[in-house]
Amino acid sequence: MSVLVVARWTVLEARRRRLVLAGVVLSVAFVALFAVGFALLYASQERAGADPGALGGALEAREELLAMSTILVVLGLYGVQFLAALLGLFLGVASVSPEIDSGALHAVLARPLSRLQYLLGRFLALAGLLAAYVVVMSAALLLVARVVAGYQPGDASRVVALMVLEVLILLAVSLLGSTVLPTLANGVVMLALFGLAWLGGIIGFVSTIPPGNELMANLGTAVSLLLPADAVWRGASFHLLPPSFLALSSFANGEEVGLPFGSTSPMTGAMLAWALAYPVACLALAVAAFRRRDL
Amino acid sequence: MSQTASADHAAGIAGTGSAVPAIATSGLRKSFGSRVALHDLTLAVQPGEVFGFLGPNGAGKTTAMKILLGLVRPSGGEALVFGRSPAEPAARRRVGYLPEHFRFQEWATGAELLDFHGRLSGLGGTELAGRIPELLERVGLAGRGGERVRRYSKGMTQRLGLALAILHRPDLVLLDEPTSALDPVGRREVRELVRELAAAGVTVFLNSHLLTEVEAVCDRVAIVSQGRVLASGPLDDLAGAVTQLRLLLDRADRELLALLGRHGEVVAVEGTAVTLAVGTLDVAPDLARLLVTSGYRLYGLVPVHRSLEDVFVDLVGEVREG
Repeated sequence: MSVLVVARWTVLEARRRRLVLAGVVLSVAFVALFAVGFALLYASQERAGADPGALGGALEAREELLAMSTILVVLGLYGVQFLAALLGLFLGVASVSPEIDSGALHAVLARPLSRLQYLLGRFLALAGLLAAYVVVMSAALLLVARVVAGYQPGDASRVVALMVLEVLILLAVSLLGSTVLPTLANGVVMLALFGLAWLGGIIGFVSTIPPGNELMANLGTAVSLLLPADAVWRGASFHLLPPSFLALSSFANGEEVGLPFGSTSPMTGAMLAWALAYPVACLALAVAAFRRRDL
Repeated sequence: MSQTASADHAAGIAGTGSAVPAIATSGLRKSFGSRVALHDLTLAVQPGEVFGFLGPNGAGKTTAMKILLGLVRPSGGEALVFGRSPAEPAARRRVGYLPEHFRFQEWATGAELLDFHGRLSGLGGTELAGRIPELLERVGLAGRGGERVRRYSKGMTQRLGLALAILHRPDLVLLDEPTSALDPVGRREVRELVRELAAAGVTVFLNSHLLTEVEAVCDRVAIVSQGRVLASGPLDDLAGAVTQLRLLLDRADRELLALLGRHGEVVAVEGTAVTLAVGTLDVAPDLARLLVTSGYRLYGLVPVHRSLEDVFVDLVGEVREG
């Protein structure tokens, strides 16, 4: 019960701080920009393909269109996850320590409310807001791609589920930081971690470029274990790809190396298990740390 | 409404029995790193008492109060609120608290804050709908509940803090410097509020360095400095422990001081005015007769009670010098 009271209060806070309004306005702008850009590029590519003087046959023109649509969709969703990830980090960073610093938490925690209930209420409310953001934005972008190009992702529900998981990982880790670090220090640490996780993904991608590099692949995986956010995004991006894209001849004969910001192979089961356990472990650590903290 | 409240409290106290103190600490200790905020604090506050916790800034008053609310974990010793550890959330159900810095979420309105805190304390929506306007009225914020706390003045915020502290009709109210932001009228209103709470059987634990405030409302006090209790007891005992007589004579010579020394201790001589500490006021009539028969001209003889401030300054001063 108290968990719900705190969650409701947290949603009210997000509304009052105009977070929800800002989120909606920016999201509408982002989706509109994506729709216009996607439609224009698609139309121009279609015209180029229809030109009888163009190189290659009709089959190649269709493949070009598919490849372009896929890359645009992956980039668009990459933008969504990037915005959602930053939002998750900021909300987590701002979740506990500013309330401790301002002293507003003293009166709240003097109520018959355990620290576990407080943290859980905060987490659930913010997780709900972020999940709603990810679901609405991804659905809007995929809908645009479908209407413009008839785009069919491999598995849309897995894409969205994994993107939500990514944001929950970032929220949980920054909430953990918020219970042990001052706000500014936590913000710096979290951005650095996020950047590192991104770099880990890039290292992992580079390691797949033929002839391949096992050491780099291991390094990429090690960094991903530290913060599996980028790894989960890459897992999500795989399910964005239409099966026909993966069957393209350029992949089949190994000419293409894949997508730098996405992945052409699914997440391993072990990484998925780690990614699922990660936010739970962060929350458990946050509760343990917060219980010990003097206010 | 307030009558029901009193009845509730009376019933609550009868139910708990007098055996369980509202607050009991034994050997309570807290250190932050190498800095010791609280040494061996032992005290008991009985239900229905108004207890003043007095001390200079940095004496450990706020730390002690935070331990009683489960906000700070003690390094040693034990603290119990109505017989339970304040670390258990349920033990805080009967406790109201006004924090020293009375900072609340500034984005919320006063009424929203009361609603949030009320729900956390287990009050229902319909009950709160009636209780919130009544409380705002009670603390002098009638009609201001819809405004954001950001726009409140410091005094208004402290009044809101008082409303939050008594919102759920607690049996124990902990007030940390409750009048620090209030003007003289506001201070008087807080004194009245404390008296009303006491009349309704509520235990009040008041942290303050404002001695007049404590003198005006408290039954018992403890004076703390550097984390230790220097003195504690009923206010009259502490302040009235030493009685002094102030004498005004035509002259103050050596014979006079010798004569007075047989009846008490000469504390101060200023010109022909002598302050004499005596065990009891009963010596005054005899002393007057003796002085007159010894040839002194007596212009005045007034008993002087030491104020709490004198006791406080003496005790705290000794600790600082020591």
